[in-house]
Amino acid sequence: MAEAVMGRVPGRGIWYKVRSFLNAKLVNIFAGSLFALLAIFLIYPIISVLMKSFWGDDGFTFDFYVEFFSYNFYYWSLFNTLILGFSTMIILVIVGFCFAYLTTRGPLWLRKPLKICALLPLAAPPYIFSISLITLFGRNGLINNLLDLNFNIYSWTGVISAQCLAFLPLSFMMIENVLNSLNPSLEETASDMGASEVRIVRAITVPLAAPGLLKAALLVFVMTIAEFGNPAILGGRTPFLAVDTYLAITGEGDFNMASVLSVVLITPCVLIFILHNYVLRGKGYATITGKGMATERKPMAPIIKIPFMIISISTALIVLMSFGVILLGSFVKIIGVDNTFVIDHVLNTQSNIAIWNSIKVSLGAGLFGAVVGTLLAYVIMRGKFRGKHIMEMVALSGFALPGTVIGVGYIMAFNRPPFLLTGGILIIILNCVFRFLAVGVEAGISKLHQISIEIEEASADLGADFLTIFIKVVLPIMFSAFVAGFIYTFMTTMMSLSSVIFLVTPGFDLASVYIYLTAQLGELGLASATTMKVIVIVAISLGILQIIAKKTGLDVSKQQGA
Amino acid sequence: MDGIKTPMLELRDIYKSFGEVDVLKGISAKIDKGELLTFVGPSGCGKTTLLRIVGGFTTATSGQVLLDGEDIGKLPPNMRNTKMVFQSYALFPHMNVRKNIGFGLKLQKWPKDKIDKRVEELLALVHMEGLGDRTIDRISGGQQQRVALARALAQEPKVLLLDEPLSNLDANLRVVMREEIRNIQERIGVTTIFVTHDQYEAMSISDRLLVLNDGVIQQIGSPIEIYEQPANEFIAGFVGYVNFLEGTVDAIDEGTNTSYVTTKYGKLELDHNQEEIETGDEVLLVIRPETISLSPSHGTERPNTFHGTVESQMYAGNLAKYTVKFGDNEMVVDHYNPMGSEKFSKNTKVKVTVPRAIHVLKR
Repeated sequence: MAEAVMGRVPGRGIWYKVRSFLNAKLVNIFAGSLFALLAIFLIYPIISVLMKSFWGDDGFTFDFYVEFFSYNFYYWSLFNTLILGFSTMIILVIVGFCFAYLTTRGPLWLRKPLKICALLPLAAPPYIFSISLITLFGRNGLINNLLDLNFNIYSWTGVISAQCLAFLPLSFMMIENVLNSLNPSLEETASDMGASEVRIVRAITVPLAAPGLLKAALLVFVMTIAEFGNPAILGGRTPFLAVDTYLAITGEGDFNMASVLSVVLITPCVLIFILHNYVLRGKGYATITGKGMATERKPMAPIIKIPFMIISISTALIVLMSFGVILLGSFVKIIGVDNTFVIDHVLNTQSNIAIWNSIKVSLGAGLFGAVVGTLLAYVIMRGKFRGKHIMEMVALSGFALPGTVIGVGYIMAFNRPPFLLTGGILIIILNCVFRFLAVGVEAGISKLHQISIEIEEASADLGADFLTIFIKVVLPIMFSAFVAGFIYTFMTTMMSLSSVIFLVTPGFDLASVYIYLTAQLGELGLASATTMKVIVIVAISLGILQIIAKKTGLDVSKQQGA
Repeated sequence: MDGIKTPMLELRDIYKSFGEVDVLKGISAKIDKGELLTFVGPSGCGKTTLLRIVGGFTTATSGQVLLDGEDIGKLPPNMRNTKMVFQSYALFPHMNVRKNIGFGLKLQKWPKDKIDKRVEELLALVHMEGLGDRTIDRISGGQQQRVALARALAQEPKVLLLDEPLSNLDANLRVVMREEIRNIQERIGVTTIFVTHDQYEAMSISDRLLVLNDGVIQQIGSPIEIYEQPANEFIAGFVGYVNFLEGTVDAIDEGTNTSYVTTKYGKLELDHNQEEIETGDEVLLVIRPETISLSPSHGTERPNTFHGTVESQMYAGNLAKYTVKFGDNEMVVDHYNPMGSEKFSKNTKVKVTVPRAIHVLKR
């Protein structure tokens, strides 16, 4: 039998040569191709933006930056964006903390419903709340009319509310995680020593959770300033960076100014990404020592319980109402004005074409993204070559970069040779693949963390060469990560607006773009109906991800970046 | 071939360094056919690295690995006829028990019916009949261990390598599986290298132990040799507790085979059976706690006896453990089967008698 093992050495012929070449070089071939893909589809567009912001008709210049800082219309969009980011951040840390405190320490009957409401916005694109808030508080809004208010939703209040609702799950999940990982005996000890609950929250819970709260806050900030849909729909005449970037291109065709705006928007994002990943990494007190018991807690003190419940429950109600009016709005003529039942919105051909286009694009992006993500994860984890960490950083950066910036980068990078791609469905697919790559890569990496390198060594020990190990052992084991990456990319592509809006051509609408345009025109019925269809598709995808998470312990559903 | 020991595997002067760190510093050893040899030593001693060099997962910086006389040191794992059971078992999670065991055979292009037959044989060998269709997550830790063993044995390797195979099992199961592995190994007679950091595990499973420390072989020998004739202080202290006592050899009487040793507690008369010990040598006496006897201090005087005071005592049923103080020094005494004999409480004056048969280390 020894001969059988050894007998594999003296193979001859072309197949043997190809096979031994692949055995020796496959990882390098993968690494090389992936590097090339990342360079072309992530680095090159960003560099194009950077270049364009310094490159006028007469070569290198700072003129566009000077222009940016001399017109208040432009620099105010920076301040406005920062104000929006900070206010949303502060509100969401408070609201997220109330939710998370109640779901981890509050009355049992309230925990599950609150958690569901806090996570519900995950199943919808962020701009759903623009539509629902217009329906509720717009000029003919249900609540406006009901209470005879004269409330203007096209305002700061509107934008901030929509952003808070859209990113509630992000804030809630991160804070709940932190509160869950705090050792309950610390709070019990404080209580044992005679501290009141207010005192405990102030002196124990919040300080211990502070690093986690800070991380949540920073993420919310980045996501909020990068978000396009809500400020575009509700912002009115208030300038914001993401929206102005879009307008600079579609309105004025001013690529230089669009690039400057992009660079200005990207700067805080990059700073926070670095802060988050390198400065704050591993910070936090939330390490459990001893046994974290699921202790039976005493009832909350009213002085905490009542304000926390008011904040959480009213927010939860608005979330529920938002979904409710989307559903309702899909099936009535003009909600609040003419409440007769119609099926027209749901059956609208244009809406269905847009949905179908979105599905096609999302399937393509999902499939391609899962392949690239899985291979990247494998190469990053198992490859041995220089630049591995740079590769990982680039692959994960798509997540942190605002969609509008990548969108601008794509139209500038790919509207001329050598990569003439604009005007097709391919460029949209590629854009979504590389923007949402991070999650597929992370799923692959965490899967590979679960399986010991010994499994691959064992295969070699039993006589397998590299190619056999890769095909028969590695790929099957990574299959769940592949599927998770596929569905996540599919789902986020379905909802994605900020980047693809630059890339769609007239006559080829995606669902998200169609929703945005109909909402702009006040066609709330069509916007609602299309949103509802997206929600259904996303909800099904989330369900499948949940099943995967339960079966394999691979959880990517708690990511947000659409 | 009975009776004649032929080396199956030979390690010749193996060095291994990771960057600046020298992990193995010249390891040479011969492993006989059918033998179970344990690599044992504290963590970081290089035992797993040595095993991985034999398996082909790491290459030695210099030195040779000879399998049946052939240098396999440069071959990748899939080209050498050594098979490894990994610490984590490394079972393929996407295959059932049967497929895991048959994986290597399939790679060798065995016909399906022969694979099935061989897998059944192996399932029977490791007492897992009827569990072939289970998935890996549906069997217990001990069963996973058996599958990993069966998978490694499927291709009838010349040398079986076991990398801390019991470390993931709980204490009771560890003992059961230890005996089981030894049983199967003896039954099929496969040459085996077993890596462990647990001295007792090594003692109880091995034909011979190779004790490593700091990248150097401290001693190779049977469990009896390791315990009763340790080569140095490290080995003496490695298995079980030991009282060390410094002394000088005053005289040796070849006629009665007695050596006379002076220690700071008094003079001792010991059996002289270690040729390397000569008159005038500075020596270290290796005194095992269970070889010492205690008696009340008023009794009759005997040779090899010191007077001391009980510093502390612990009664554990099968064993009474005492620490006896002599001035600034202490000695641990284990009194096995103390039932019915005299117990000594704290601060009692006692006589401590050490036996004549004591292993002596030259300093």
